[in-house]
Amino acid sequence: MPRPQPPTITFSIDGREVQAPENTMLVDAAKLGDVEIPVFCYEPKLGAPVGACRMCLVEIEGIPKLQTGCSTPVKDGMVVHTQTDRVKAAQESVVEFLLINHPLDCPVCDKGGECPLQDISYGWGGGKSRFIEPKRHFQKPLELSPLVAIDRERCILCYRCVRFSQEVAEDYQLVLHERGAATYVGTFDGHPYVAPFSGNIIELCPVGALTSRPYRFRARPWDIEGSGSVCTLCPAQCNVTFTVRDERVLRVLARDNAEVDDGWLCDKGRFAYQSVHVDDRVVQPLLRDGGELRPVTWERALDEAASALRRAGSRVGALAGGETTNEEGFLLQRLLREALGSEHLDSAGGVPPQVLHALARPDLQATVADLEFAHTVLVLGTEPVDDMPILDLRIRKGVRRHRVKLAVATPRPSSLDPNAKVSVRYAPGGEAAFVAALTAALFGGDVDGPARDADADPDGIRAVAELLRAGGEDVVVLYGTKLLGAGPSVAPALLKLAGGLNVAGRPGAGLLAVPGGTNSRGLAEVGVLPGMGPGFAARPAGDAALGTNGIAAGLAAGDLTALYLLHCDPIRGLPHRGRWERALDKATTVIAHAQFLTEGLLAHANVVFPAESYAEKEGTLTHPDGRVQRLRTAIGRQGDTQPEWWVLAELSRRLGEDLEVISGPMVSQQLFDAVPFYAGLTLDVIGAKGVRWAETAAAAFPEAPELGAGGDWTPAALPNGALRLGTFRSIWAAPEVERSPALKFLHPRQRLEMAPADAARLGLAHGDRVTVGSDGSAVNATVTLRNASPSGSVFLEDGIPSDAANVLDGPLVDIRKA
Amino acid sequence: MAVGVDGDSADEQAPITARRPGEGVRRWSHGSRVPGWDDAADLTKDPAGVPDPATTPVPADLRAEIEDYMSRYPDHRSAAIPALRAAQERYGWCSPEAIEQVAAVMRLTPGYLSAVAGFYDMLETQPVGRRSVYVCTNISCSLRGADELYARMEEELGAEENVNLRHFECLGACDIAPMVSVDGIYVGPVEPDEVAELAEQIRTDAAPLPAKQLINRKSVDPGSAPR
Amino acid sequence: MSHTILFADIDEPGLATLDVYRRRGGYGDRLRKALQMPREALVEELKASGLRGRGGAGFSMGTKASFMPKGQIDKYLVCNADESEPGTFKDRELMQKCPHMLIEGMIIAAYAAGANRSFIYIRGEYVQQAVIIERAIEEAKAAGLIGERILGTDLDLDLWLHRGAGAYICGEETGLLDSLEGKRGNPRLKPPFPANQGLYQGPTLINNVETLATLPHIIEMGAQEYAKIGVQNSTGTKLISISGHVERPGNYEIELGMPSREIIYGLAGGPGEGRSVKLWFPGGSSSPVLTGDDLDIPYDFDSMAKAGTMLGSGAIIVADDTTSVVDVALKTAQFYKHESCGKCTPCREGTNWTVKMLERVKSGEATPMDLDIMAGVCENIIGHCLCVLGDAMAMPVGSMIAKFRPEFEEYIEQARAANPWGSSEPPSEALAAQGAFA
Repeated sequence: MPRPQPPTITFSIDGREVQAPENTMLVDAAKLGDVEIPVFCYEPKLGAPVGACRMCLVEIEGIPKLQTGCSTPVKDGMVVHTQTDRVKAAQESVVEFLLINHPLDCPVCDKGGECPLQDISYGWGGGKSRFIEPKRHFQKPLELSPLVAIDRERCILCYRCVRFSQEVAEDYQLVLHERGAATYVGTFDGHPYVAPFSGNIIELCPVGALTSRPYRFRARPWDIEGSGSVCTLCPAQCNVTFTVRDERVLRVLARDNAEVDDGWLCDKGRFAYQSVHVDDRVVQPLLRDGGELRPVTWERALDEAASALRRAGSRVGALAGGETTNEEGFLLQRLLREALGSEHLDSAGGVPPQVLHALARPDLQATVADLEFAHTVLVLGTEPVDDMPILDLRIRKGVRRHRVKLAVATPRPSSLDPNAKVSVRYAPGGEAAFVAALTAALFGGDVDGPARDADADPDGIRAVAELLRAGGEDVVVLYGTKLLGAGPSVAPALLKLAGGLNVAGRPGAGLLAVPGGTNSRGLAEVGVLPGMGPGFAARPAGDAALGTNGIAAGLAAGDLTALYLLHCDPIRGLPHRGRWERALDKATTVIAHAQFLTEGLLAHANVVFPAESYAEKEGTLTHPDGRVQRLRTAIGRQGDTQPEWWVLAELSRRLGEDLEVISGPMVSQQLFDAVPFYAGLTLDVIGAKGVRWAETAAAAFPEAPELGAGGDWTPAALPNGALRLGTFRSIWAAPEVERSPALKFLHPRQRLEMAPADAARLGLAHGDRVTVGSDGSAVNATVTLRNASPSGSVFLEDGIPSDAANVLDGPLVDIRKA
Repeated sequence: MAVGVDGDSADEQAPITARRPGEGVRRWSHGSRVPGWDDAADLTKDPAGVPDPATTPVPADLRAEIEDYMSRYPDHRSAAIPALRAAQERYGWCSPEAIEQVAAVMRLTPGYLSAVAGFYDMLETQPVGRRSVYVCTNISCSLRGADELYARMEEELGAEENVNLRHFECLGACDIAPMVSVDGIYVGPVEPDEVAELAEQIRTDAAPLPAKQLINRKSVDPGSAPR
Repeated sequence: MSHTILFADIDEPGLATLDVYRRRGGYGDRLRKALQMPREALVEELKASGLRGRGGAGFSMGTKASFMPKGQIDKYLVCNADESEPGTFKDRELMQKCPHMLIEGMIIAAYAAGANRSFIYIRGEYVQQAVIIERAIEEAKAAGLIGERILGTDLDLDLWLHRGAGAYICGEETGLLDSLEGKRGNPRLKPPFPANQGLYQGPTLINNVETLATLPHIIEMGAQEYAKIGVQNSTGTKLISISGHVERPGNYEIELGMPSREIIYGLAGGPGEGRSVKLWFPGGSSSPVLTGDDLDIPYDFDSMAKAGTMLGSGAIIVADDTTSVVDVALKTAQFYKHESCGKCTPCREGTNWTVKMLERVKSGEATPMDLDIMAGVCENIIGHCLCVLGDAMAMPVGSMIAKFRPEFEEYIEQARAANPWGSSEPPSEALAAQGAFA
């Protein structure tokens, strides 16, 4: 479905001839002629206009009644008046009506100074009221959720918040109760409005009825500055504005970028800024001394780290976590390769670099906006709301507004299932077999065999194939990169899928990856891969370079002696916790850059450098769809923190290699020069909205070698009394969430999701405490029954501080009542 | 979504109101009052998503009735009102449990359904008596003594727990004004001296004023006489 | 009357059953004739009959049907049986006594509209009528009159009864559609009109019970004959409901254009002896009121419009000279305040404000200046709302203030004299807790 391109028409507003795209709503078209028509309920992001507030009444020649500008599409030759006596009288009357029950408590209102109701009352109101009855008075403010306070006196019933809940997030938790003048916003039976995107209602509210509990009364609009940057808490890289007062981040607002976030934020992005200013942040260098990490001077820490690295030399391994910027990753690989002569570094969690290279092909890339306008979207092996939350809203929008046909193929029931034309489940561990079955269903071959190995319904797979084949040319496959680690046959199958569906080079179609880390794509492109340098350039070391799994094995075997961790704690973040425990036990030196001392660092790090938070950083990130975006410094660095680029350059200098960088922008420029397809980028060019290199420099992309067929798949394990273990990482599983006081209530507690039939067989009931074990390791969890959960598999959460799923190696687990 | 509302969250953030729900606001107590306006969310509860059938049992006959309604419409949400009515008939009112059961069958959130229930006069969102007794007090009936009738009915039935006696807007039977609807059976005109009898019939579950039931009334139009 | 069409033999025993209805010609030649006409010809026939919608708006039925787009898409027919306009009870009698007439009309309308799915949305309060209609639908289905290939033609039609649950606004056609879709019954923005995007976003024809029940008779008589009844622009007969201060309240079938006096005094017997008509609503409580001086206006669409009011649903409410206009105004305003859906600002806030002012008039806390404010508020509501509910309060209440201002002023003076201190004491906590006066 191509995006619509309406023709330009000319209409007249208040005597001015104005050009606008045809059928733009009048309130938007008026802006093109510098005419403002006031609105409360109108917000195009919420869908079709509702015309409820009646603030935007205008006069259109030829139509006797006043019309709502929010819902009148502009046509050629239309003559509109917004300044006539009739219009002014209507506007004044609507303001008068809205204010009769509004408390006008502006002096004690958190919205004061940035309140559309204030502005419109001042600009379009009559300045007087004839209302002499007692106003409504209620208890206020009240908790709507731990994050949002509601003041029902101030509410003008514009419907925005409930429309968001019902028509954007589609969680249908926030509703209107009663009717008429008694209508009020609330939830079912006093349940709190807790949902991944609930905070957006604060920004949508045009009065002070919904306010942020963490922000309430922290500042007045004249105390604060806005600072645009990018949220680094997940791969969605939503554009944000930090509200800063006295070098503290007090609030995060959406910075609407239609190509990235569509103007929304998830609650993690909106509230986890609090972790920037918590006491347990690492704000000075730490050195392990007498078994404990103790604060030391920078000089001491750098010396210790440099000498340890010098001793280890080429026996250093390095891992970069997802929040690492392109610049930091670039310098890390220079440090390793140029100063230490080591090729053992990775950022991809063990996915072979050749695979990432092949899938990074610019002609294969779908964009975020394509999810909204495609004919068909396949969500494969990822749960967007957890893995890249903002895409969840985009997919829902496509289905709702543009009738995108959605297919979902995941091991665990997806929150998008109700929106999907077809949903199909496969067993954890059956990823490769599933993809094989799907390609067979599309392009011929045996479907039933691999479907059996994936424990998936072959008819469901055929239905997905049919939808992809017959739904229209613009197909977008949104896949989790976790799949790529499931076997060598997955990536070739994905490429075959893309080839067979002719998405290559087709605008509006393609593949879109949901990586495990925020900047996974950028880190791969700047060379934080084993055996591949910046721009996917092959390194002479080739296969001798160790990746994530090789580094773990190398450390355990003593082949490697030091580990450099840039924003990464393998104990927390990577699978096979036991394996990493052994590796870190064995390592002589562990050097880490971190904001927080997570379990692995607390137990194993020898040197910890304080890391900048995302509000302090400058640099660039690359979005999974290839958009290079810019991080800008919002606040000064906390405590003694120094920028990572400086630390990496300083270590390198001490090791005898001058990286020739004395500022952040210099690193950016070095990296743009080093990656062929980043050529021509500068920080200015990237600007506020980012640049997709696939659109500007695709020709410079080095051709990827053929991957080959990748061989056969291994079937998913067969449940034999023990059940298959599937894992997932919730949106809330992040150290930043754990440390943000406002989000503490979201602390995930380990739950064992299972099908009612399996539970009945094991004699378990909803809410039972159980021990889930495999291979001598065990975690505790609470049984949660889900009707949609596939029989034979259970699901545990990963990435949480205690009882995390990565303790268990699987593939089968035993479940016992605790 | 894995969301738990920890009991200790209160320590992290003090409640924003000193007063708790249910306490009245002294000043302006003659201002507007709507039940619910003063209620905060209970932060110890989990968010109310679509109830999982695995943990929300529904009586089989109620489920079958709701599913029958759902099958009648191209969009199963259309069955919301009939389904809520069915649940109300079973439980006496649209209680939270009743709404959760309907939500589990219809795969909707209970919030959606409670918003629907709150909009319509005949869906009860508070516990009420099982017998619905509506007295029309709109213009036509009040011109013919409906307000006095309501006052008398209240004297007779106001204390009956089993009776949901309500003022009602025009019930579409102004030809028998002043009138009363007893569980959908329209009777009228109800004369002052008939109120006691009617009340007794309601109390004892007898047919209300059999001679005055609208269903038996002949047309007044002279043109309708058989030719 | 000379023309009794809908109410002919309405009290015949068993008319609600298929057998008796068939014996009286129901589902017979006229239905066959309608279904054998080319669709366009049928729509033209309906247009030619001059039949205007009987629900309140009075829009040409045939023209509305002609707006339905052609083509193979899901189209819907909805019967608006949410008869809620105060003073209106004609559809109730029709549905209760002759449900098959409605069903037969729906079959014809569905054919004209190209619709294959239809619903009757009946107000929830009509419990006994719903049972009767449901039984009639079952009979019709069993007889093959609803279902596939009706009477051997290509017409397939599905029909379900949908019961509302008590909300006046669901009589507004788009509010009805939202309610039928299982939502809160909020009216929608227009355009798009239901004929383009109605139920489930599909083209939808919505008509009132009486309108649909008239269709079989139009086919039987022929549009030309039907159009001869009544006056220009108001053809045919109309069921009217008369209530309030009259001797013989009830439904009457009249020929449009009949003098109002003949209806109120001739048919309904007028107010009791020694009383006179003080004010009357000619078309339900939403219509601006007329006075005893207006009784000679002919009862038809155009004459009523010329008199500054409307025929509406054809419901006449008469109040005699013992009535206080303040009470009528307050009852009217309270009704619309209670029934306002709350979606748009002027209606939600304006009806609420008007009630508060009228309550002050009653309690002796008002001054004549409040009448100016009230009139101003009514003016600010009219034409500024999303649907017509706000206007439906502002027009009659505004007309009462305009026409009976001296009485309002006198009432204010007397109430103030009786209650010189106003009601500055708040009411009891118990009363406040009831939440009755939001």
